[in-house]
Amino acid sequence: MIGRRVVRAVVFAALFVYALISLYPFLWMVSGAFKGRTEILEGGFLPRAFTLDTLTQTWGRLHFFDYFLNSLKVTGLTVIGVLVVYSLASYAFAVLDFPGRRILFWFFVALLFVPGITMLLPVVILEKQLGVLGTHIGLVLPFVNGTAPLTVLLLTNAYGSVPREMHEAARSDGASEPRIFWSVYLPLARPAHVTVAVLTAVPTWNEYVLTRVSISDPSRYTLPLGLESLISSEVPRYNEVMAASLIIVIPVIVLFLFLQRYFVNGLVGAIKG
Amino acid sequence: MSTLSVQDPPGRLRGEPSRGRSPRRWPGWLTGWAFVFPAVALFAVMGVYTIGSGLALSFAKWNGFTPTWNWVGIQNYLDLLYADPVLAPELRRAGWNTLQVMIAVPLLTVVISLPLAVALNSIRRLRGLLRSVYFLPYVTTGVAIYFAWRYVLEPDGAINTLLRSLGLGTLSQPQGFLGNPSTALPTLILILVWSSVPVATLLYLSGLQAVDPHLFEAAQIDGAAPRHVLRRVIWPLMRPITAAIVLLGVRDTLHGFQIFLVMTRGGPGGHTDVLALMAYRLSFFKGLAQTLGLASALGWLLFAGAVLLTLVNARMLRRVQ
Repeated sequence: MIGRRVVRAVVFAALFVYALISLYPFLWMVSGAFKGRTEILEGGFLPRAFTLDTLTQTWGRLHFFDYFLNSLKVTGLTVIGVLVVYSLASYAFAVLDFPGRRILFWFFVALLFVPGITMLLPVVILEKQLGVLGTHIGLVLPFVNGTAPLTVLLLTNAYGSVPREMHEAARSDGASEPRIFWSVYLPLARPAHVTVAVLTAVPTWNEYVLTRVSISDPSRYTLPLGLESLISSEVPRYNEVMAASLIIVIPVIVLFLFLQRYFVNGLVGAIKG
Repeated sequence: MSTLSVQDPPGRLRGEPSRGRSPRRWPGWLTGWAFVFPAVALFAVMGVYTIGSGLALSFAKWNGFTPTWNWVGIQNYLDLLYADPVLAPELRRAGWNTLQVMIAVPLLTVVISLPLAVALNSIRRLRGLLRSVYFLPYVTTGVAIYFAWRYVLEPDGAINTLLRSLGLGTLSQPQGFLGNPSTALPTLILILVWSSVPVATLLYLSGLQAVDPHLFEAAQIDGAAPRHVLRRVIWPLMRPITAAIVLLGVRDTLHGFQIFLVMTRGGPGGHTDVLALMAYRLSFFKGLAQTLGLASALGWLLFAGAVLLTLVNARMLRRVQ
């Protein structure tokens, strides 16, 4: 009996240690965001002179409110684009029959194997020619296209698992395909849409590489670029950097806490599927 | 049209289809194509066209500004692989670093997350809370968290302070963990492991929950030691999940370079340079030098590598099973 207790204690201790490792940078992010300009240079964990000034200044004077709106716009448009474009396409792949269906489906999935860096340069060159480089639309278009493999897999699975009889019943009631899609499949596959939305929103919110090379006008900066501009000064003020990081991370954590099961289902589904 | 409607099933006739959208006038294949059209149009421009033009560019020299490309055949590939005295060693070093990351990250991820998932699966209380906590590094992966790591890894940052206060001062790094050439890459590898443990743990946990709990009990009653249960029962059962984690890890290392860009830019002295970062530099940071073709060629070498490794991995893992 004692042996079992010891084992349990060890298990719990190990789990807690890893929980601490998991949280480690977040704890320092929070502590740094509430420190003043001089205290950040000292080592302590808990801020001695707790201050909200760093956060309010970062939000206001350093334009992080504008960056926040830009990020919201880019992320929102990307999520809407992904849901509209790929719910239609996945419906066709899962339910309709047309020539080229199979090969098109595998084309989309094969995109998973093309590294982002291979696409990055040609996308930038193309957008320069089209005149959308440096605009928010110029970010949204490749972001939407980039989610294609995962989204098409998830949604085609979701629509495919709707019983075929429902489609036939609706069909014999005289409903057109757009009608069946809208009133039968969309409501039934709602959880899959939420999963797609969160799995799109989070990486888009955090995206840095394409945004960095395309956006040059500071008024169009998203949050990650704003954050980077803080650290590119010779001596970064880490209290401001941590406050800005906190502004980026908090919406994602809130989203995650509320929609946790959609993240979990989506990831497990995508990898097993 | 009238002859056709005679053949209609009775059900279809009752539900008066509206004139313009009659299924007869709007054949099935057209409906299908209408549904996939937006996705295909976007894919044609952002996917097929860009992939094609990128491939073409890999056979040319161009700096992004002159009106024409200079065709050079496969010279870019040769330059990268061995011909150019500057690029080829740079590629070899970045390739070596990439290889280390590609082996170390999936390995360490599996070594940490399988026991973690087994432990998590063995408890009831706090399981949900701990699972959420473990998952945070995945959701927040990005620039913000990399800057937080930079902050704690500074020369007088939290990690050095922690090591000194634990009496492990010899392990602390006076130039910072990212400033010392011999610790920079291992540090980045550990951070990559830190951010890939969440998904791996989650996958293992869902795999373990699908296993009949009586199986573990039976093994314990038979007197099997926990490490034997882990090796003889759990490990074989989890093999498909391990395969998926390794595949994902290898793919992510070839594709991803954000952490290297944000935390070290390949430094100090190229010790954390990776192939994708090298391609990024050739694409955007060479001014008027004609390196865009080289960048494309390197991108295609990476693509070929990714496909090859996936095939080899898949075959090896299938043989093991």
